This record gives sequence, C-alpha cells and structure tokens, in this order.
Amino acid sequence: MPNPHNVAVVAEQFHGSLQQITSELIGAARFLSEKLGTGVSCFLLGHEITQLAERLVHQGADEVIVIDAPQLKEYATLTYRRAVIGILEHLGTPPQIVLMGSTTIGRDLAPRIAAYLETGLTADCTEFDIGDYEHKGKADPSKTGNFKNILYAIRPSFGESLKARILGPWKNPQMATARIGVVQALPLDTSRKGKIYNISVNFKQEDLRIKVLKTVRDVSVSVNLTEAKVIVSGGYGLGEPEGFEVVRDLASVFKNSVVGASRRAVDSNWIGYAHQVGQTGKTVRPDIYIALGISGAIQHRVGMANSKLIIAVNKDADAPILKFAHYGIVGDLYQVAPLLKKALIKMAKQKY
Amino acid sequence: MPDTSSKAGVNPDGTIDRARAKRMLNPFDRYALQKALEIKRDSGAEVTCVAMGPPPAVEVLIEAFEHGADYGILLTDKRLAASDTLATAYALHKVVHYLGDFDVILTGLQTTDGDTAQVGPQIAERLNIPQITYCEHLSISDRILNGQRIVEGGNQEIEVHLPVLITVANSATPLDYKRFADVAAVKEFLRHPEERDKRIRTVSLDTIGANPNRTGLLGSPTVVGKTWKIGDVGGSCIVFKGESIEREVDELMERLRTDGRGVEELINA
Repeated sequence: MPNPHNVAVVAEQFHGSLQQITSELIGAARFLSEKLGTGVSCFLLGHEITQLAERLVHQGADEVIVIDAPQLKEYATLTYRRAVIGILEHLGTPPQIVLMGSTTIGRDLAPRIAAYLETGLTADCTEFDIGDYEHKGKADPSKTGNFKNILYAIRPSFGESLKARILGPWKNPQMATARIGVVQALPLDTSRKGKIYNISVNFKQEDLRIKVLKTVRDVSVSVNLTEAKVIVSGGYGLGEPEGFEVVRDLASVFKNSVVGASRRAVDSNWIGYAHQVGQTGKTVRPDIYIALGISGAIQHRVGMANSKLIIAVNKDADAPILKFAHYGIVGDLYQVAPLLKKALIKMAKQKY
Repeated sequence: MPDTSSKAGVNPDGTIDRARAKRMLNPFDRYALQKALEIKRDSGAEVTCVAMGPPPAVEVLIEAFEHGADYGILLTDKRLAASDTLATAYALHKVVHYLGDFDVILTGLQTTDGDTAQVGPQIAERLNIPQITYCEHLSISDRILNGQRIVEGGNQEIEVHLPVLITVANSATPLDYKRFADVAAVKEFLRHPEERDKRIRTVSLDTIGANPNRTGLLGSPTVVGKTWKIGDVGGSCIVFKGESIEREVDELMERLRTDGRGVEELINA
C-alpha cells in the first residue's frame, strides 16, 4: 500500500520521455520530505510508460504510483484529471503536499485538481520550505490557529517586485506548481531502490470530452528556452522585426543555443510567443544569457536573473539591465553584435 | 486590476493600494475579448463581459463596450475582498450560473498582477466543462470547437463540444481589437440611464445566490504569510563604455577569457 503521507510529485512525460521539470520537482520534494520525516511519491501517468518508474526512483522518489492507460497516451485535461483524482482516492488520506510543474500541462491540470479538492494552490513557485505559521484571524476568526510544519510556497509577486510566502495550512494537500529551472534536481542515483505500484482508474464518458487530434512537438527545431545552454535574446531596442536576424546570427555561434525575446518584442509581433522570456513567458537559467536591446524591466528580469552569465548590450547607459547583468556594453547592438560574434569565434579557435 | 504602470496608488514601499490605484482591463483579457469579438463577428453571438471588483471597476466594462461587447455584468461585494483564486473562481462560476446559458467562456491566460493562470481552469472545474488553456487559434462549427493550444516546444490540436472554457494565449491574433470599436455609440447609451441599465448589470453575492463563506477571506484556502522586496543586486555589473565599440568588445573578451566562466566551451569551434 503506498504511503499517503509522502510529499507527492506529479511527473511529466511526453511520449515516453520524462521532462526536466520532473527531476527538479523530485529534488524539491526530497528537501521538503526530509524536513517532514516522510518520503517522496511520484504519480506517473501515460501509456506504455511503466519503464519510466525506475528512473523516477533514481531521481529521488521512494514510491511511484503508475497509471498506464491508452486514454492517457496524449495529455488531455480531463483524462489526466481523472487519473490524478483516481490516485488520490486510492491513497485515501490526501498527501500533505502535491507539487506539479509550472508548465502548459501543470498550469492546465493543477488548478482543476485544486478546485475539485477545494484546496489551496500556489502558482509558479521559485522556492519551497517547511515551517510554522500562526494565523491571527482578526477578520476571519474561524481560521485562527497555530500551524506546524506546513508548506512555504514562495513566489515572486511581480507587479510589486516582491517575493511572497503563500501558505495553505487549513487543508491537505497543500498544492503548488514550480517553475522550470529554479529548483535543483538531485544527482541521478542508479542504486536507489523504491516501490512501484500500478493502479487502474475507470474513465467516465465525461472524461473523454476532450479529443486531442495532434500534438506537434519537435524539440530539435523548436524553441526550447528552458533547456538551452545559451540564450541570445532581442528586445524592443532592435527597432524592427528584421533585427532578430542579428540575434539569430549571434546565437548561431554557440552550441545548444536558442533565440529569446522580451515581451515588447513579442507583443510587437516581431517574433513568436514561444520565444518570450520573463514574467509572462518562460523562466530560464542558461549558462549564458545575452540580451540585445532589452532594457531589463522587472518583468523580464524575473525570468532570466538566475542565468549563470548575463551579458547585456544596450544603447542606454541607464538601462536597468546594465545594473544586474554581469557584463554590459553600452552601444548600438547592430554594431556590437557582429563584432562580438567575430571575437567569440576567434576566442574558440585560439583555444583549439 | 490595478494599473501598475501608473504611479497612482503605489505606496512608497512598492506595494499597491488597490483602493487608490487606477483600474485597467487586465492586458491578457484584451486577447480574450478580441477572440470573443471575432466569434461574434463570425457567428452573430452575443458577448457578455464579467468583471469582479469594487464599483469603479465598471470602467473596465465600459472599455469592453467601446470595443464591441454587448453586455456587462459587475459583481461587486465587500465580502469578496481578499479572495484567492479558488474563491474568485467560485464567485465567477456563480455569475455564469446566474447568467444562464452560454457556449464559450473566454478568459485571459492570466493576470499581470497575480499571474497564476488558475482562475480560468477553476471556473471550468466548477462548471464541469472542458477547457483549452494557452489557446492560440480556434474555430467553431456545428457546436464543435477546434482549438490549438501551445505546449512546450510545439502545439496541440484539440476538438471539444460546446460549452467550453478557453484561456487565450497572448500569442493569439495581434492586438488590434479596436477595429471592432464603436466609441460614439457607447457614449450615447451611457447617457441614457435606462439604456445603460439594460447593458450593465451590477450584482452582489446575494443576487447571484453565492455563499459568502466561500468567497473572500473565509473562502480562500491560501493566505499570504509574508512578503519581502526582491533584493537589488545593482552595482555588480561591469559596464564597458568608451570611445569605440571595438575597444568595448575587446575589453569584454579579455574578461571572458580570464574570468574562468568557460564561455569558450559553449562556442561552435
């Protein structure tokens, strides 16, 4: 029988490959579970995916609860909703904590589960912790209480440039989604042993109301901002859509690089939304982030500030990005980018 | 929602005084409104906009009228204050019930203040209807909606029967919804109280039969425990500026060669 008191993670896989976010969620769950003195359970949903369960154990799960069903071959809100509810019903007692990814799947599914369970959900967390909370309840005396060992779900509160600790001490599971690339995964440990439970769920007619006709997801040609080692981003300072040629050109110098963009560049229709970095786009943490013509407003900054190396090129010496980047060049990006490209190639050649 | 680009209502410590802040239509909702107006254009549907907030939030509905919405409903009640997403979705789904029949509910992907993207799916859950989130394109025929939603590194094509809830991605049709606008006509009907009342209804929790214990503070399973300012890391940036771009790039390269960050490892040799 699976342990209902574990910290639970809803694993994400696409056509049989586990997604990066899953190992990060397991890393976060381990940290929390060690503080709570429990273990980590992973929910694994899909079709012909049972072989992934062992890998989840190697990533840090103690238990994996698998639902393998043809209805789960493609992600669809209502079938996956039923599967997660099925696991929770199987457990009987709700887990203390359920973590999901802040992805197009997690952000689609988690709110429905939370609404079904009438429990709290905190979106897009960047940190987690366990601690106590005293609710004084001046305006809501019925909720007053001293709560021990509850989830601290920490997220930026953007419009206000703040970080907020969100708590849901009144009901389990305490649910949260985590951004990609902000929580560390654990090193893979192939000697770890865990328990794997296969369970089944009865899909109802109403669960089949969403028909997925086709999922196109070509990782080799698509923008994969969250997994790229190098991101070269363009902003409104490009002045015109053709400016992205310069951005692409500089990106081509690097291995495993993709083109990013600021919201203003995307809103101006210069490049697709899939490229957007920042509050309303993707949160990224590449080894190198080069910002061309991006001022670095807080909305952009929260999406890329954790990059290991940030190089900014901006005409405006007062641009905020020239405060928090590691290196900044004040100048016209159209002059700087080609020179930078040449110099980078030269540097690599000298090395080999 | 408060207009965070305006200085009005922003406290010295950076927090928002929602009572004093200027109100604006959530930018994400503009994409949803535009999609609704496109559906109206193609099918003759009626567009009803729902807002929840203090009485001045009616401005947001008027903005929607100016762009071509047909009806507006404002849910306003002191007991809604401090609602989290679950409580907000509860209240809004009661408004939908109150309105009666519907085919498509469109919401913005998220708000720019809370940024959770949760309220749309939570309304759908309470209404027990399917949803398509991150929807970029959609078409409707014979009560079947075909939608395309964004997924990481691609997209997904989905077919559902109406009714359905859609959250509209801001990569949807470019924002030129003013083409539907009839500002003069809106000004005209706002001048006539009878006409205005036909178009804009203001309702309370009691009007829509909502349980006040499930809204506001009482109905919210989450609470903000503590907030703090994101630390300013200003001052650590090494900025190269000088007489020539060549010189600046050279100086940067010298740094990159010697700072041990291993940039050269990531270059295609």
